[in-house]
Amino acid sequence: MSRAPALLLLLIAPLVPLSQQRIDRLAGAFRPQEEVLYLWSGEHVKRLVPGFESLAADIYWLRTVQYFGGQRRFASDKRFELLRPLIDITTALDPRLEVAYRYGAIFLSEPPPLGAGRPEEGVLVLEKGVAALPDAWRLRQDLGFFHYLFLNDAQTASRILLEAAEVEGAAFWLRTLAADLLAKGGDREASRRMWRQMFEQAEEGIIRDNARSRLLILDSLDTADALARSVLEFERRHGRRPARLEELAAAGLWRGSLVDAANVPFGYDATRGRVLIQETSPMWRPE
Amino acid sequence: MGRGLSRALAVAANTFRETVRERVLYNLVFFAILMTLAGLLLGQLSIRQDEKILKDIGLAAMDLFGVLIAVFIGTGLVSKEIERRSLYPLLAKPLSRSEFFLGKFAGLGFTLLVNLSVMLLGLLLTLGATGRRPDVGLLTAVYPLFLGLLLVVAFAMLFSTLTSSTLAAVLTVGVVVVGRFADVIRGMREVLPGVPQQLTKALFAVVPNFANFDFKSQVAYGEAVSAGILAWVTLYAAAWTLIVLGLGLASFRSRDFQ
Repeated sequence: MSRAPALLLLLIAPLVPLSQQRIDRLAGAFRPQEEVLYLWSGEHVKRLVPGFESLAADIYWLRTVQYFGGQRRFASDKRFELLRPLIDITTALDPRLEVAYRYGAIFLSEPPPLGAGRPEEGVLVLEKGVAALPDAWRLRQDLGFFHYLFLNDAQTASRILLEAAEVEGAAFWLRTLAADLLAKGGDREASRRMWRQMFEQAEEGIIRDNARSRLLILDSLDTADALARSVLEFERRHGRRPARLEELAAAGLWRGSLVDAANVPFGYDATRGRVLIQETSPMWRPE
Repeated sequence: MGRGLSRALAVAANTFRETVRERVLYNLVFFAILMTLAGLLLGQLSIRQDEKILKDIGLAAMDLFGVLIAVFIGTGLVSKEIERRSLYPLLAKPLSRSEFFLGKFAGLGFTLLVNLSVMLLGLLLTLGATGRRPDVGLLTAVYPLFLGLLLVVAFAMLFSTLTSSTLAAVLTVGVVVVGRFADVIRGMREVLPGVPQQLTKALFAVVPNFANFDFKSQVAYGEAVSAGILAWVTLYAAAWTLIVLGLGLASFRSRDFQ
């Protein structure tokens, strides 16, 4: 190469990082993916990549994870509209990709802003997984859990957990959990057992973090209930409700902390004697 | 017979050297970069699927690069010699057309074998380096892949004896694509019930079913491929390759190079 073109190239080259820097400054360095999907059918995608379906499924799975993470972190309205089609395409390309059903269902089911808040679709994804992988007891377990945790259907959850228990290699505690659900119609302890299982089965990452925070929420709800009982005891002793929760400690009725697991003080409704997790707390979830 | 074999092997060795000189094996550098990047990044991105995805990428790259080499080098094996007129002095020597043709096939087959072996080694090393067990079961996916590639070379050589190398490449790619859709031909009547069964059967019989050589997904999930099915796949590949090579050879022998 002669000197003049080489010099020109050297002069032009710095324009690339410079212009990128400017674009990032104006549009943001990290941007959520556009809500665009050119192919909506897994079967169509499958036909486009004969012999490479498995690799295409991996690519769609990576895109699903990136899309979910990008929406969750950077999008302002967090609609997650492409989530379901991306999961459907992934699982159509590789029906054995168990992780796509399990994690996809969580992504869909968690309430906004953590997830798409569409648990019915999460359950449908798990049902598809159970049909494709009838021997995967963890998928059935998750399906049972989701019916209970997100759809509040203890009866169906119990039936599915019993089915999961029948699968070879399934965990022994599924049967007792199913019986407990049926007997008690579900309680916080059952939820805790389910989230603990999900926490223990997941590796470090988004699902484990989610299960961990769910367990902390349950702990905070327990603390709020205990505080409410102390409020009742205060009322019984003093003939009035405490004006503030701090009065419980002064009266020797509470020794613990008055903040939830996220260190946000519990809310207190003195007129009704209710102790609540505040909406500003990361521990708050819609009832 | 012995001399014929040694002459064919000499052509094969020369073809191998030629392909190496044409920098065909440069794809291995790309493969090495791909594997390194995949090994470094997938753990962060894929949520527990890094091993499966690494295997998928590695096997798909072997398949894709292998087909590209088989098609584009395979179609040039004979036609280039004709176009460059380097074939004439060769055939004037005590070298039969069959020895030349089969030697060319064996030479490219060996190039593909070396290519696949190095890629497999690269994949095993990547798995080992990322803390995974180097899975020798991958061989059960690579072996049928190699058989499929030999068939692609046979088709490429057949077409290159009939037409120009460009058209031969197009036709070979066509056969590979149609062969990968063989199941669609078999199930055609489910979508179009009016199509006569004999027609779908006939079409399915004359199209090589390249899906038979595809165990990538199964092996990526760590499932075993039985020796029985591998034996049948070997027989299927051998039958198809011999037929296509035979047709190619017949066409090559009947060509008038005056």
